Amino acid sequence: MTEQDKESKRPPGVCIPWEEKLKELPDITGDAELPKKIWEDVDALGYVYIWHCLLSF
Amino acid sequence: MHRMPLAQSKWLVGSFENAPCFEVSVMPNDMEELYNQRLTRYVTAMRNEKPDCIPIRPFVAEFTSKYAGYTCQQVTHDYEMAFAAARKCAADFDWDAVVGNMVYVWTGLTQSIGLKYYGVPGFDFPEDMGFNFIEPPDDEAFMRADEYDQLIEDPTGFLFNVWLPRVSNDVVAMGEPTSFRNNLSFLKGGMGMLSYFGGFGTQAQLLRSESGTVSAIAGILKAPLDILGDKLRGYLGVCDDLMKQPDKVLAACEALAPHLAHVALSGADPDKNVPVSIWMHRGCVPFISHDHFNKIYWPTLKPIIEEIWARGHQTLFYAEGNWNPHLDAFAELPDGSIIYHVDQADIFEVHEKIGHKFCLSGGVSNYLLAFGTPDEIRARCKEIIDGVAGDGGYIMDASAIVQNDAKIENMKAMTDFTREYGVY
Repeated sequence: MTEQDKESKRPPGVCIPWEEKLKELPDITGDAELPKKIWEDVDALGYVYIWHCLLSF
Repeated sequence: MHRMPLAQSKWLVGSFENAPCFEVSVMPNDMEELYNQRLTRYVTAMRNEKPDCIPIRPFVAEFTSKYAGYTCQQVTHDYEMAFAAARKCAADFDWDAVVGNMVYVWTGLTQSIGLKYYGVPGFDFPEDMGFNFIEPPDDEAFMRADEYDQLIEDPTGFLFNVWLPRVSNDVVAMGEPTSFRNNLSFLKGGMGMLSYFGGFGTQAQLLRSESGTVSAIAGILKAPLDILGDKLRGYLGVCDDLMKQPDKVLAACEALAPHLAHVALSGADPDKNVPVSIWMHRGCVPFISHDHFNKIYWPTLKPIIEEIWARGHQTLFYAEGNWNPHLDAFAELPDGSIIYHVDQADIFEVHEKIGHKFCLSGGVSNYLLAFGTPDEIRARCKEIIDGVAGDGGYIMDASAIVQNDAKIENMKAMTDFTREYGVY
């Protein structure tokens, strides 16, 4: 497990929290909520993938 | 096992050509009327009330391939064949609700990910045997006895970084050089899963429009201790841990619980008609002790069921084996919060203890369906209907998943007798 992984908190539905991703980005102009929402929507698919590997397949 | 597991995900339903929620199906009024009639019948019974007649909801797996003329290999490898077989059964038998595909392991997906724990028809045994799960030896469990803290600290990270490389022939362990097969595993696995789950949405629409059949369940749940035993430590490993490090087992179950609740709710029926299903495996006596059930299994499952109920969804307890030693615990749940499916247990004892609170289903022995006669099936159905269905709150079904050993004439006898005798 990497240091970055150890630092991150992963609540249900989350693989890489937006707060962690945000640190990599420049200051966001315009609508700051839009990239957050899209990040979280797509990130949730990664979560679905691993938990359904465990539970369904 | 999932009608539309990702129904709440805009990205899934809005991004693909075959997205089920955007299909507009035109169906004859009589078929829509039939669907609504079946849905009302099914939901009324599940609420432990009395419908017009007993709903029939057999969980048919490889039986569908036998009836529709496919091999187990075909319906396991090609989910479109599996969907077609399920629809043919739904249309030809007079069933109120079915699962879109109870041969749930699509090997196109499991092979893409490189999963090593399935026995596959055509690969590992003859083409007309159903797939099976192969639990590794105790000393090769997918999670080691000293890894509880890692799992507890970060369950999702543990699954990706530690568990997945062990269960896959293709995924490379953290720190090892990556590979072409590793990269493809995630790409093909992700795309394959989206394709398969999207197919369930289409299947639900086709069941509705072609035969007026309801998709029986939506969303999946497993108990924390069960999934720890099934896919992580293995049954023997969990037993060992329950004796040597019970606090770690409890903490792991507590760490898994919010994730399991999240997955269950994310796949639940947005209309709140059909239940989330929990597949109950080895969390009961005699697989574990009463003490472990009371201190670990139930305290970490019960809050999940209560949370699902608080969000307006029932849970179908698919109680595989015999869970009658724990009926008093299940009776603690709110009235109507679950549907209780009876496998090998005494269904009359179940009815006596919890029938006033919950709808029951099942009770027709798979052994009888495979080796009995239609007369024996009719006698058993009469016994069950007379004993537990008098006030409603009962759904006709086999004891367990129906595979290709069941005789077609026996499934027909179960269906026809219930239709004739099970009218209120």
